[in-house]
Amino acid sequence: MRLSLSFIAALFTAAVSAVSTTGNRLLVVLEEDADKQIYSKFLGDLKSRGFDLSFESPKSESLSLFHLGERSYDHIIFFPTKMKGLGPNLTPNILVDFLNAKGNILVTLHSNVAAPTSLVSLLAELDIQLPADRTGLVVDHFNYAADNSSAKAHDVLLLPPPRPARSDVKDFFSTGAGEDDVLAFPRGVGATLGASALLNPVVRAPETAYSYNPKDQVGALTADDLFAAGTQLSLVSAFQARNSARLTLVGAAEMLQDTWFDAEVTASAGGKKKTINREFAKRLSGWTFQELGVLRTNWIEHRLDEPEDPRNNETNPKIYRIKNNVKYTISLSEYSWDSWTAFTVPDNDDIQLEFTMLSPYHRVPLSWDTTRSSDSAAAYTAYFRLPDQHGIFNFRLNYKRPFLSNIDEKNTVSVRHIAHNEWPRSFVISGAWPWIAGVAVTVAGWLAFCLVWMYSAPAKKGVKGEKKTQ
Amino acid sequence: MRLTRSIASALLLFSAGVAQAASAWGFDEGSLQIVAKKSGDSVKEKLDPKAPLAKPVTLGSLDTLKLGLTAKDSGKGKRPHQAFLVLQEQDSGLEAPFPMMVKESGKAAVQITHKDLPVQFLVAKKPLKASIVLASFGASQGFNAPAFEVKLEIDPNAPAPKYEKPLRYGKQPEIHHIFRPDPQSPPKVVSLFFTLLVVAALPALLIGWAVLGGNVKHLSTAFSRAPISHATFFGSIVAMEFVFFLYYTTWNLFQVLPVMAAVAAVTVLSGTKALGEVQARRHLNTLLAVNTRLLPLVPTSVLRNSGQDPVTYDMRF
Repeated sequence: MRLSLSFIAALFTAAVSAVSTTGNRLLVVLEEDADKQIYSKFLGDLKSRGFDLSFESPKSESLSLFHLGERSYDHIIFFPTKMKGLGPNLTPNILVDFLNAKGNILVTLHSNVAAPTSLVSLLAELDIQLPADRTGLVVDHFNYAADNSSAKAHDVLLLPPPRPARSDVKDFFSTGAGEDDVLAFPRGVGATLGASALLNPVVRAPETAYSYNPKDQVGALTADDLFAAGTQLSLVSAFQARNSARLTLVGAAEMLQDTWFDAEVTASAGGKKKTINREFAKRLSGWTFQELGVLRTNWIEHRLDEPEDPRNNETNPKIYRIKNNVKYTISLSEYSWDSWTAFTVPDNDDIQLEFTMLSPYHRVPLSWDTTRSSDSAAAYTAYFRLPDQHGIFNFRLNYKRPFLSNIDEKNTVSVRHIAHNEWPRSFVISGAWPWIAGVAVTVAGWLAFCLVWMYSAPAKKGVKGEKKTQ
Repeated sequence: MRLTRSIASALLLFSAGVAQAASAWGFDEGSLQIVAKKSGDSVKEKLDPKAPLAKPVTLGSLDTLKLGLTAKDSGKGKRPHQAFLVLQEQDSGLEAPFPMMVKESGKAAVQITHKDLPVQFLVAKKPLKASIVLASFGASQGFNAPAFEVKLEIDPNAPAPKYEKPLRYGKQPEIHHIFRPDPQSPPKVVSLFFTLLVVAALPALLIGWAVLGGNVKHLSTAFSRAPISHATFFGSIVAMEFVFFLYYTTWNLFQVLPVMAAVAAVTVLSGTKALGEVQARRHLNTLLAVNTRLLPLVPTSVLRNSGQDPVTYDMRF
């Protein structure tokens, strides 16, 4: 019964949110309607995933991201426009407000078109730097497509599938891609990322790539002119705010165009290769629009782990005692395209639970709890012993990882000290024996004194003494 | 299968060689110079495009590294668009490119001092790997090969460079609370020894009193004169101790207090009577002791305890 109910509930939620966890209203900012045609496959993929696309020009006066303080759209895509700014409806302030309201933004750039100042300011706000003059071109003389014009200009980079840089990060963008497949990055702009933990490069430039200004650095590149080179250049960058709103910067808008979807290219090193741009575009937009890597806490439970304690069965008690053994369980789900699945922790990573009062007293990893997990939710459990310090503590689970939405759960409990009748009795403690014996001897001595004081006959010596004085 | 594969790889190698021979970037007259600022001494090494230097060079904190070469496209001096000296930190893989100043003839030069290097390089433990990248637009194959290794020598007198790793979201080190040690008891033998010492104090006390003449010889006298009050008085003292014992073992304060009050009332009531008897006995004894001459005058029946009230007995003297 319970199973079927939850099944129906799962079906219902799946029907309601068939697309993204945060909504399906997608605003596409395009300057000319003709541009729809060159991105038709990408936009068609989005539509088929359930997004409700509305096209607007930045010049449009009716365009407004907010209506009565609520978001009018859930997601925005910016395609390159020739406008210098983006008008009064898309100022950096409004875009930051949009991010703060948990809206997601996908920004695309093109090396032939200077980035609008509004977007440059927004990116600078997030610590993403673009080359001076709002434009630049990334070239690599070692990994380029040797077709057409790129054979000479080397401006179509062929990159290996973007694997995560760290071993403890989940691979969202290149799963399923073969080692021989390439990602084409045509005529794109590279950016450099600040030191913020909220920023992550999705695609880095190869070691030999560099960015230059095709207008005035044609002859040679001097040290002062170099914007960035090698792996410091981020071609596709991801930003996830503390509220889990996401912004993605795609350096080359052209990589989302129909021509590069499932295209065949000639690599400079030799051989024909297939591009994975379509799958990458799907995954990148899916991640940006909260279809991938979204975590949800289903429930949290903490309780005593002391079988002999009468309060052992109480769930989420408000008070514990110091040195109690406790058990903490959390159920987590991850959204994957259209349904909630059990969240599995990436290899080499751990969900960690902290038990804190100002600073953590414990930080312990949680392990998979198979008995309480299902296909749509994974339970993770930790067992530990409360510290020998009383006070107001928090069970704190702060799980922030690149490309996964943030989880920060805090459950406050009191930890009392040991009551006077919970200590071992003094006669059990061998060190107390002399003191207990002392008490017993005092009692016996007192009783003996009472006897002697009340019932002692006068000593004979004293009588004799009296006689002597006489 | 294996044969075809090896043939294919041989073909690939061959074709690559052909491509390189056809048009490829390279360099000539490569030289590496370390100039010390103070003494002006310099170490000079020749760079070979085919093989990196065998030994790492050392760059002091005030020294300047000077690299010069002539870039060549298929043997002809030419200016490439990309002429980088790339330094790489070996542990993290962090790279820093240093573009060279290139002339039309292909003559290129670059100078590096400690000031130009990112701080991560200054705290690196292994020598930095330096490679030369020469490439340009068009069909010519680019040149990218390791050239030498450079070891940075930090001035021990200057403040050490500090590098703080930026925050990255990831697993943090585990913390396990260190509990205070449990209270400990001394060895049981020691406790037992001192327990025995304490217990031995009681017989010592009793013996001491006995030596000084303490006794309970008047017990029967007292009980025959005031049996009820003495029995209840001494009994109440014992009972009070028993109440304390129960308090120690099972009872709580609210159970103890009323019982203590009851026992105390009994003690007071019976005590006046019992202690009165004691006082009278003492008084008589004192008189007897002081006036021994009077002793014969006292009727023996009185001395032998007639059972009369001691107060009336007193009145006779």
